[in-house]
Amino acid sequence: MIAIVCVDDRNGMMFHSRRQSQDRVMREDMLRECRGRRLYMDTYSGDLFKNMSHEETEIVIADDFARRAGDGDYCFFEKMEVERTFLTDRDVSRMEAIIMYHWNRRYPADTYFPINLSDGCLSDREWKLLRMEEFRGSSHERITKEVYQRI
Amino acid sequence: MMKKMCAAARAGRRLLPLLLCCCMLLTTACADGRMPDGSAPGQGEAAGTASGGGGQAPGNQEIITIEEVPGYSGEPYIEINGNEPDFHEAGQAERKESFERYSALDRLGRCGEAYANVGTDLMPVEKRGRIGKVKPTGWQTVKYDFVDGKYLYNRCHLIGYQLSGENANERNLITGTRYMNVEGMLPFENMVADYVKETENHVLYRVTPVFEDDNLLAEGVQMEALSVEDNGEGISYNVYVYNVQPGVTIDYKTGKSSLNEEKMPGAGEDDAEGEIRGNSRSKIYHCPGQAAYEEMADSKHLVIFGSEQEASEAGYRKAKR
Repeated sequence: MIAIVCVDDRNGMMFHSRRQSQDRVMREDMLRECRGRRLYMDTYSGDLFKNMSHEETEIVIADDFARRAGDGDYCFFEKMEVERTFLTDRDVSRMEAIIMYHWNRRYPADTYFPINLSDGCLSDREWKLLRMEEFRGSSHERITKEVYQRI
Repeated sequence: MMKKMCAAARAGRRLLPLLLCCCMLLTTACADGRMPDGSAPGQGEAAGTASGGGGQAPGNQEIITIEEVPGYSGEPYIEINGNEPDFHEAGQAERKESFERYSALDRLGRCGEAYANVGTDLMPVEKRGRIGKVKPTGWQTVKYDFVDGKYLYNRCHLIGYQLSGENANERNLITGTRYMNVEGMLPFENMVADYVKETENHVLYRVTPVFEDDNLLAEGVQMEALSVEDNGEGISYNVYVYNVQPGVTIDYKTGKSSLNEEKMPGAGEDDAEGEIRGNSRSKIYHCPGQAAYEEMADSKHLVIFGSEQEASEAGYRKAKR
C-alpha cells in the first residue's frame, strides 16, 4: 500500500476534525500519481474528488479503506479515525511508499502524521527519498511533493 | 495519532476577571458598520459570554469559556467553548456578502472587536503597505536577542492583511508579541485565507482583543471563524491566543517588559538532561524530549553536541518537533 498525505510545516494534518488545507492542482497531481491503479479513501476525502475527472484512476471509497487496499494500491489518508482506519502498527508496516505533499505553510493542528520524514531521522533506517518536486497550486504558492520508499 | 492534551488536564488554571473590550464598546456605540440598534454585528453575548459557565463536552473534555481562560502554560492558544464559534446572530443576508467592520477605539484608544465575512473580493491584490505610523496602545519599541526578528512587539492586525487588505487602519492594529503574531494568530489566518482562495466560499471571522481593566496591552485575542456556504464543514474554530513572549515578563498596564531568564526558550534544556543529537545527513539536531531524540541514539548518522549553540554553530538546525 502506498500512503498519500498532506502536511504543514510541522507535520500537522487536521485541526478540529477538519483538513488543514486543500488544493485542486495538488489533487490533479495525486490522480496522475495513481494513474492505472486504485486510490482508496474515506467518504470525507471522497467529497474532494466529486467533480473531478479520474477515468484512469479507480477511486474506491470506504471507511475501512486502509484494510481493503492491497499491495501497490494507493491510500489517501486525511481524516483519521484512529480506531477504524488509520495507522495501526499493521498499517504502517504495510506501507511500501509514502507520497507526502507539503503545503509549505503553518496551520493550526491537533492531528499529526506520526512519521517524521522531513527531519531525515526515521528515513535513516526505514525510508529513502526517491524523488522530490515543487509546483504551484491553485491556492498555494508552492507545494512540495516528496516520494519515500521503504528501504 | 497524537492529540492535543485535553483542556481539563492543563495545569495552572485560574479564573481571570477578563474585561472584554467589546463589552465596553457596547456602551459607546460609534463604530463603522453599526447595526440599526447601535451594536456591532456579532457583538453582545457572542464574543464574550457565549455559554455562561463551564461544562463537559463529550468524552469528558472540559469546555472553557472566555471568562475562564487559564494562564499561559506553553501553548500559544487554547480552545474556547469546545472550539465552536458563535455566529448565531449573523443573519442570512449578512452571510451572503463580504464585509468588514471595525469597532471604534475606546476612551483609552484601544481597539475592540473586528468582524468580517471574508470573501475573495476582500482579499488584497497588492503587497502590504507601511503600517509603522500607527502606534497602538501599549506600544514599546524594544528588542530581545532571542526573539524571532529581535523586536518584542509587532503591530498585529486583528483581521490579517491577507484576509482583508487593510493596511494602516488604527482600528485593526494592536500591540502584540512576536510570539502571539507568528506562533498564535498567523496559522489560524492562513487556514482561513487558503480555504477562501481555494473554494471561493465565505468565512465569518471575528477577532476580539481582551483587555483587563484599564490595561493598555491586550492579554490576548479571541479568534472565531466559521465557513458559510458549507456551514462550518471547512472552517470552524474558537480559540484564545495568548499575548505573551516566552522569556519576557510583560506589564500589561503599560506594555513595558523585562527579561525573565527562567522562562527563556531552551532554559535548562542543555543542562544534565543529556546530549544534543545531530543527524549528519539532514543537518538537523534533536534535543532531549523531542520526538525523534531516542531514535537518533543508534543512527549511523549520529553526531553528538554538548549544547544547542554548538550544534547551531556547526550549521545544524533544530528539529521542528
